[in-house]
Amino acid sequence: MFFSKSMSELELIVPSKDLLGVMKILSGHGVFHQADSSYPTLDSESGSSNVWQEKASAYSALERRVQIVLQTLGIVESQPVSADFQDVVELEAVTPTFERIETEVKQTSDRLTEENKHLEQLESTLRQLEPVVDINLDISSLHNSHILYSTLGIMPAANVDRLQTSLARVPHVFLTLRADSKNPVVWLAGSRVNADVLERAARSAYLNALNLPENYKGTPDEIIKSVRKEIDLGQQKISELKTALTHLAEAHKDQLLGLLWQIHASRLLADAILRFGQLRHTYVIVGWTPTDDLEELIHRLKLASKEMLIETIPTHRHGDNQNVPVALQNSKFLRPFQMLVTTYARPKYGELDPTWLIALTFPLLFGAMFGDVGHGLLLALFGVLISSRKVKMLNSLASLGGLITICGLAATLFGFLYGSFFGFEDVLPALWLVPSKDPLPILGIAIGAGVVLLTIGFLIGIFNAYISRNWGRLFFDHNGIAGFVLYWSLLGLLASKLGRLSISPTIFIVLAVVAGMAIMFSEVLKHLVEGQRPLIEGGLGTYAVQAPMELFEAVISLLSNSLSYVRIGAFAIAHGVLSSVIFILALLVSSPHGIGYWIVVAIGNVFIVGFEGLIVGIQTMRLEYYEFFSKFFTGGGMRFEPLTLTSAKEE
Amino acid sequence: MASGVSAYAALNARVRVLYSNLLEPEVFASMSEAPDLASLIGLLKRTVYGPYIENLKEKELTAHGLTFHIKSRLADAYQSVIHTAPQNTRPLLFQLYRYYEVANLKAVLRGIAMGPTGNNETTLWERVQAVLFPFGSMTILPSEAMMETGNVGTAVELLRNTSYYEVLSFAMKRYSAEQSLFPLEVALDLSYWRKLWQEARRLLGEDQGQALRVIGSLVDMNNLMWAIRYRIYQQLSEEELINYTLPFGYHAGDEDIRAIAAGADIPTVVQRVYPYISNVNSLLEEPQSGLPRLELELKRHLMKQCMAAFVGNPFHIGVPLAYLVLSDLEIEDLTVLIEAKSSKLPEEEFVPYLLKVPAGKG
Repeated sequence: MFFSKSMSELELIVPSKDLLGVMKILSGHGVFHQADSSYPTLDSESGSSNVWQEKASAYSALERRVQIVLQTLGIVESQPVSADFQDVVELEAVTPTFERIETEVKQTSDRLTEENKHLEQLESTLRQLEPVVDINLDISSLHNSHILYSTLGIMPAANVDRLQTSLARVPHVFLTLRADSKNPVVWLAGSRVNADVLERAARSAYLNALNLPENYKGTPDEIIKSVRKEIDLGQQKISELKTALTHLAEAHKDQLLGLLWQIHASRLLADAILRFGQLRHTYVIVGWTPTDDLEELIHRLKLASKEMLIETIPTHRHGDNQNVPVALQNSKFLRPFQMLVTTYARPKYGELDPTWLIALTFPLLFGAMFGDVGHGLLLALFGVLISSRKVKMLNSLASLGGLITICGLAATLFGFLYGSFFGFEDVLPALWLVPSKDPLPILGIAIGAGVVLLTIGFLIGIFNAYISRNWGRLFFDHNGIAGFVLYWSLLGLLASKLGRLSISPTIFIVLAVVAGMAIMFSEVLKHLVEGQRPLIEGGLGTYAVQAPMELFEAVISLLSNSLSYVRIGAFAIAHGVLSSVIFILALLVSSPHGIGYWIVVAIGNVFIVGFEGLIVGIQTMRLEYYEFFSKFFTGGGMRFEPLTLTSAKEE
Repeated sequence: MASGVSAYAALNARVRVLYSNLLEPEVFASMSEAPDLASLIGLLKRTVYGPYIENLKEKELTAHGLTFHIKSRLADAYQSVIHTAPQNTRPLLFQLYRYYEVANLKAVLRGIAMGPTGNNETTLWERVQAVLFPFGSMTILPSEAMMETGNVGTAVELLRNTSYYEVLSFAMKRYSAEQSLFPLEVALDLSYWRKLWQEARRLLGEDQGQALRVIGSLVDMNNLMWAIRYRIYQQLSEEELINYTLPFGYHAGDEDIRAIAAGADIPTVVQRVYPYISNVNSLLEEPQSGLPRLELELKRHLMKQCMAAFVGNPFHIGVPLAYLVLSDLEIEDLTVLIEAKSSKLPEEEFVPYLLKVPAGKG
């Protein structure tokens, strides 16, 4: 719960002959995260790497071809019921059968495409001719006029206005013969003297002139009749071809889906093998597996290959673990909070997983700002509703359901403490205090809570720095021991000056100065401790300016981080005040017993739950991300993505 | 429908964080001074682009490889902004994002038209892929399948059921007759900007005003540069030029474009639209070098417009739009830097082409 799953590094040296058996084990259980092997490959000598490279490309190409055939046949891709994977596919064995099906499908589909295209052309010709059906004139005579330039055709509707604008200075006639939202039929005519200008304008507006084949002669009416006959014939052919494709789909569906699965699995394996290190007769496989699964995995691997060498290297949580994958292990209850954490960043291996902490503090902060029994229960019910996925419209929010429910319950709890029920503060007795009536105590408590949370943040940050053996950060960082001492010295100094502490302020001043100096010169000190050279980067002058700024920024951020928590109290007060505004508005509408009063109160409450709930949610997130996490959480961990032939297991 | 503060609270917070991560002029200054590409890569790794390039293999650390991978940050920014944006603004943001898909489509069509060359080290698809924008799963382009057809007509057929098909099918007739991609590319551009403008106009109130300001500024720049280039380089007729440009914009109106088409003095028109740019006459004396520099000035003006969106009321679509444009311009600058360092150009030859003037080099 506090850390991600413990990982072990696994290094396997596998004889070539056992490679596929081992791969089946590694990819079959979803517990092995493959890493790129740093071993040099000997592809120039053995040529084996190239073989897998070629195989991977060939599988990929064949997979795409199978997918295209499935798509042409209208078969939806799915994993076969029995997704057992025996061996990588031998391309020579499956290609001829597949090519026979492919050719058959392609021939039928090509003919269908041709027929469709021909039909489209015929329909387009028909659309263009229908508006001029009543004209008793041989169409071909339009093209042969010596005085008139004319063009009849279709064009994109979006270009019509622009074409007319462009011809503003050229005498012409432009008629829309058939209005259409996309492709109107238009006729452009003008003097043959301007033929060139008109033609260029028409072309640049994408006016596609009607080009009738030579065999279409006569009046539009005569041509239309002939075209209609051809359309009927074309539709009949299309129907026959579609039936043929349906028969092909029925005949080859299972075979094609099975083949696609085998090729897909083979490609994934070939891609994985490409990332192995390769010696003359062996492969080097490197990766990570959860320590809990290690024993079982090794047992299975040994069954798959007797001659394989297995080396396991336990991974310590301290030190630099940038390359170790992170598999978080939180219960179902904590999942919504894990989502909040991973939205910010994934913890590094060895770093404390703050999910449990956010699960504790997020509802607490939210509830304190939104304390109301009625509003909280409404919110909780809303959370349950969206989790249940019963309202389709809210399905996209389903993952937030748990979080909203818990926050709603926390708000209910604080509602009892504040004695607030749908904004009414006289229905329930306040078990603690009423924020709108006791503003100063609640603001003070909010700052106090901030100090406690920041202190926890500091302590976890110090713990994380210790775990990762980052001594520089541990001692001198503004979020390390130096920052912590500075923070508490300043708090102690304040308490002492206010007379709340009997310790001499001098002690706190000395501590603050020492801690401040450590922060100011943290770069030099860190480099010194870590043995990094040069001690100062970018020149002494720049450093002299930067160092005091570093301290100034640290002090300002301590102050702003602490004061930021005032918002907890401020929102708790605002919640009560906003409710009273609703009651004032309701009283303007009618007396407290009138229906208008209750309508306004109901609408106002819905507004508070929706609008204020959202704002409080954002503010809580802000407190967690900017104030709290910044003290200890670095993140940047790599997600554990096990090698698997099917979709990956969820964390 | 949520609006104002409630709709933009989360998006605004996210964009503010992203905005604060845009590179400072000081960073550009140190990158300009990097002695070679390797040092530039070292510096880039320390920026927000670090995660996108730190795991690249040696052979990917080329100018093309780096440019491709740093663009992934922009793709991530788009996806992040789109997913957090209010529902009613997503079509606009998505259409803006489609700019890169249109660019990818043009690249694929160029690749097909160019056909295989004698270079056997990489396939044509690999070469085209290297210049594509990493659009991710949101793309509707079957780029590789299109390349495999080896024929523009058949490739366009693969776009059936996409919004690009209708646009291209009209232009295909001209492609078949002229064997030039120009009509296809112009048709794609015009259709893209028209849709973007329509989406901006569909918004209401403050959102519409802010969207038209950012999108309109982009349209102004492109429309004006198209008109100037069509007239100077392609000698198109007045009618053609009007048909190949857009009748809307923020500062540049249709009358400005029509004036250029009708043969008006170009510097006068540009000066009227952009009174802040003082040296238009001298820039256009030598169009070959002057036009890219004019475009640079227009982009700098656009940058200022976008930065202004971050001042005042932040709860509107202008802020994310402006960030996305600024982010794109930053990638342009980084591309200039990467290409310059890769070609070992001295500083004085490439710094004038950077949009964000590095600190101490203005």
